[in-house]
Amino acid sequence: MSPVFRIAREEWRLMWRDRVAASGLVLLVLLAGVAAFTAWDQRQASAAERTRHQAQVDHEFDTQPDRHPHRMVHYGHFVFRAPGPLAAFDPGVDAFTGHTLFLEGHRQNSANFGDVRQSSLLLRFGQLTPAFVLQVLAPLLLVFVGHAAVAREREAGTLRVLLAQGVKPARLVAGKALALGGVAGVVLLPALAALAAIGVSTPGQGGPAAVLALGYAAWLAIWVAGIVGVSAWLARGRDALLLLLAAWTACVVVVPRLAPEVAAARTALPTRFETDIAIARDLAAIGDSHNPDDPYFAGFRQQVLARYGVARIEDLPVNYKGLVGMEGERLTSELFARYAAEGFERQAAQLAWVDRFAWLSPMVALRRLSMAAAGSDLVQYRRFVEQAERHRYALVQNLNRLQAEQLTLRGDKSSRDNRISATHWHGAADFHLEPEATGDTLRRAAPAAGALALWLLGLSLATVPATRRLGREAR
Amino acid sequence: MNTMIHEARLLWRQPVPVVALLVLLLLSTLAVVVGQREVAAQRDTIARLAVLQQQDLDAQARKHLKRGDAGTVAYYTFHGTEDTPSPTAFLALGLRDASPYVMRVRALALQAQLHEGETFNPELVLAGRFDFAFVLVYLAPLFVIALLHDLVSSERRAGRLALLAALPGGGRRLWLRRAALRTALAFTALVLPAMVALGHGGASLAAMVVVVGATAAYVLFWAGVSLVVAARAGGSAAHATTLMGTWAVLTLLLPTLASAVLSRAVPVHQGVDLMLAQRQAVHGAWDLPPDDTMARFFLGHPEWRDTAPLPSGFHWKWYFAFQQLGDEHVADQVAAYRAALQSRQRWTDRLGWLLPGVGVQAALHRQAGTDLGAQLAYQDAVAAFHTRLRTFFYPYLFRDVAFGAKDFAAQPRFEAPTGAPGVPVSQVIGLVFAGLLATVAGTRAAGRVRVKEGGRS
Repeated sequence: MSPVFRIAREEWRLMWRDRVAASGLVLLVLLAGVAAFTAWDQRQASAAERTRHQAQVDHEFDTQPDRHPHRMVHYGHFVFRAPGPLAAFDPGVDAFTGHTLFLEGHRQNSANFGDVRQSSLLLRFGQLTPAFVLQVLAPLLLVFVGHAAVAREREAGTLRVLLAQGVKPARLVAGKALALGGVAGVVLLPALAALAAIGVSTPGQGGPAAVLALGYAAWLAIWVAGIVGVSAWLARGRDALLLLLAAWTACVVVVPRLAPEVAAARTALPTRFETDIAIARDLAAIGDSHNPDDPYFAGFRQQVLARYGVARIEDLPVNYKGLVGMEGERLTSELFARYAAEGFERQAAQLAWVDRFAWLSPMVALRRLSMAAAGSDLVQYRRFVEQAERHRYALVQNLNRLQAEQLTLRGDKSSRDNRISATHWHGAADFHLEPEATGDTLRRAAPAAGALALWLLGLSLATVPATRRLGREAR
Repeated sequence: MNTMIHEARLLWRQPVPVVALLVLLLLSTLAVVVGQREVAAQRDTIARLAVLQQQDLDAQARKHLKRGDAGTVAYYTFHGTEDTPSPTAFLALGLRDASPYVMRVRALALQAQLHEGETFNPELVLAGRFDFAFVLVYLAPLFVIALLHDLVSSERRAGRLALLAALPGGGRRLWLRRAALRTALAFTALVLPAMVALGHGGASLAAMVVVVGATAAYVLFWAGVSLVVAARAGGSAAHATTLMGTWAVLTLLLPTLASAVLSRAVPVHQGVDLMLAQRQAVHGAWDLPPDDTMARFFLGHPEWRDTAPLPSGFHWKWYFAFQQLGDEHVADQVAAYRAALQSRQRWTDRLGWLLPGVGVQAALHRQAGTDLGAQLAYQDAVAAFHTRLRTFFYPYLFRDVAFGAKDFAAQPRFEAPTGAPGVPVSQVIGLVFAGLLATVAGTRAAGRVRVKEGGRS
């Protein structure tokens, strides 16, 4: 048996005899199991509820009676954002964004009914998910059981004995790291099982699940390297503990909260109130479709007449009101798209600032990797909002086209009384969120994975001088 | 007093406590500055939007007054509302980062407008704010633990324990004196920046009392717990582990568990359901005989019964009548939704009696007016304003009164409800109770410190 493994085995035996360490480990594993189950159950429940709501509104749209198409433009449609399969592992922003989006003509609404506004501030303590257990609690347990791994030998005088017996310092440190790594592996086990279950059972999720597993393994390995290094470097176990607890507090609690403050202070977001007024102003500057003398729409009318080679709108083969509706919707939607993209760019700029703090705390990188791979980050939310907006535009223009083609100008006097057949609504509103290509998801996680790898490399290298120092002590 | 000065001098020579206190003062100051910046930014936004809104109103007036009918104005004109931050909001920013503090409404169906969200970066909100409430709930206990966990064990290590116990004024009184000094210094470092800011910000005395009381009780709770552990046998490392573990369970683990249970036990799907039902009711009106709609409207609003019958074409009063009927159709669901939200808040408040971290969070956010209850109160204020809007427009619509520039100027304006946010009496009592309980336990434990015992640190 190699000396490294013998040292690790001895350490495990000690840990097991230490009731506090052993029960802490057992409790954390149990908790990870409970977290995996509740998070999975929660995801299933919210996915089922949103699917049910989606089916309900799809059905309601299909069964609307004969109507004027413009009434259907205002009737609109709802789309519901369903959480991805890996959101059971890390729900990310799911609870902090709305999931119910009302699509209608002339307006771009917000996604509403997110948990964040429907919960007391208890939600801000965090959510019990495998990601939370591994990000926050697991490193704390590793600090508790590992801080004295080397320092204890030094304080008890056994370090000299071991080294005098010819145990190489590097092997001693490696053995301690192996022991602590074993503990980390046990803590990781329930999460790995959950990831494997999701990865195998859901097509296309294998890659992201593997990235999550590797990312969290690297995160715990970073702590193992750091803890063993500090334990080897500092003379006393209690000093190692204090330093490690301070490091945990800074990395896990303080920096991840300070980074967003810096980002938000640098880049402010406009309120919806402001954006709505700005869009209305821009629109008024272009033209007013209700005003018969408006220069923009007079020009539009001339273009249409020229295109069809007629002199009066009454002579057009299509209903001019429908064409005006389409033109108006095109103008507003261009503005909506521009302002929305600008808003999301600002948010992306904020997150780019947050990401710089990964050099202060690997937790920042881990969260980025975790949410990206789990499909629960801002980018996924943006994809939903933008696809829903495109769907809204297509739906409204389709209805405007129906108004242009199915009604005549003469027969389009009242949006209450002039109706077209209900068959036009069937299946017209169904929305399908196009899932992101796995390659794109993984590419987004790559920089964070790189940052984690650098942290791991840096801390592993830092154990080298600590180990050398151990060797000098024996002499 | 002399002994206290002596103890302070002793403390000043130890690097760890001094650095810890300075760092705590720094973090607390930072949190206060961050909170004040945010609140100042929100106030600026509200002031800026008031100007923008007035310009928008003027533009609307130019555009829609030409037709001289109230219906067009009521349909197109948005009115601004705002939820001004309270003088203590900077201490606990709460839900103000995720729910709107400014929103526009018009006289159409309210329920389609009231639940509209704000633009915010969900990843930043997920991370949470670095405000005073955060420093108090999470970080303050860690500093108290850092200051107190080796109160006894450090003396034992140094071999002074027997001597200290034998001295006059040694034993329990010595430990209590030292613990009190460190706790008081931690409390001062924590609360001083907040007090300075509150003094400048014109907060009421009641608010200050709540902040100081809740902070003191929470710090006392952790000081008591730390003293109970520190007075036991065993070394510094074991005590730090026990205390940190207790902290992790009380402020990280149990609140998240409770949150998971609460979201399961009190579902809030009524929000989405009421939106869907309201849309069906409002848009279904286009397919019903208008006179039937008016008859249903008159049932609830007999004051308009004797007005002119509907003309054959479109009339705004029919339009606004079915908008209001849409709201009334879902009134029960709205009430159920609100009740569910309030129930979640109530259970959180109750949990605060068991978990001081949750209790102090609830207390701070209640007095700051930034919790779920405050958000509902803002929605109520918007709803009340919306009722005023309807009441203002209906006489023009139902009696076919021409609408001119003077009428446009007379439209109601949103006025924020006066009155400070509620005082979280029960939370503060719960906290004080927990603080006293822990202090008593700590005091008793301090009298049972054993001089002789084995165990390494």
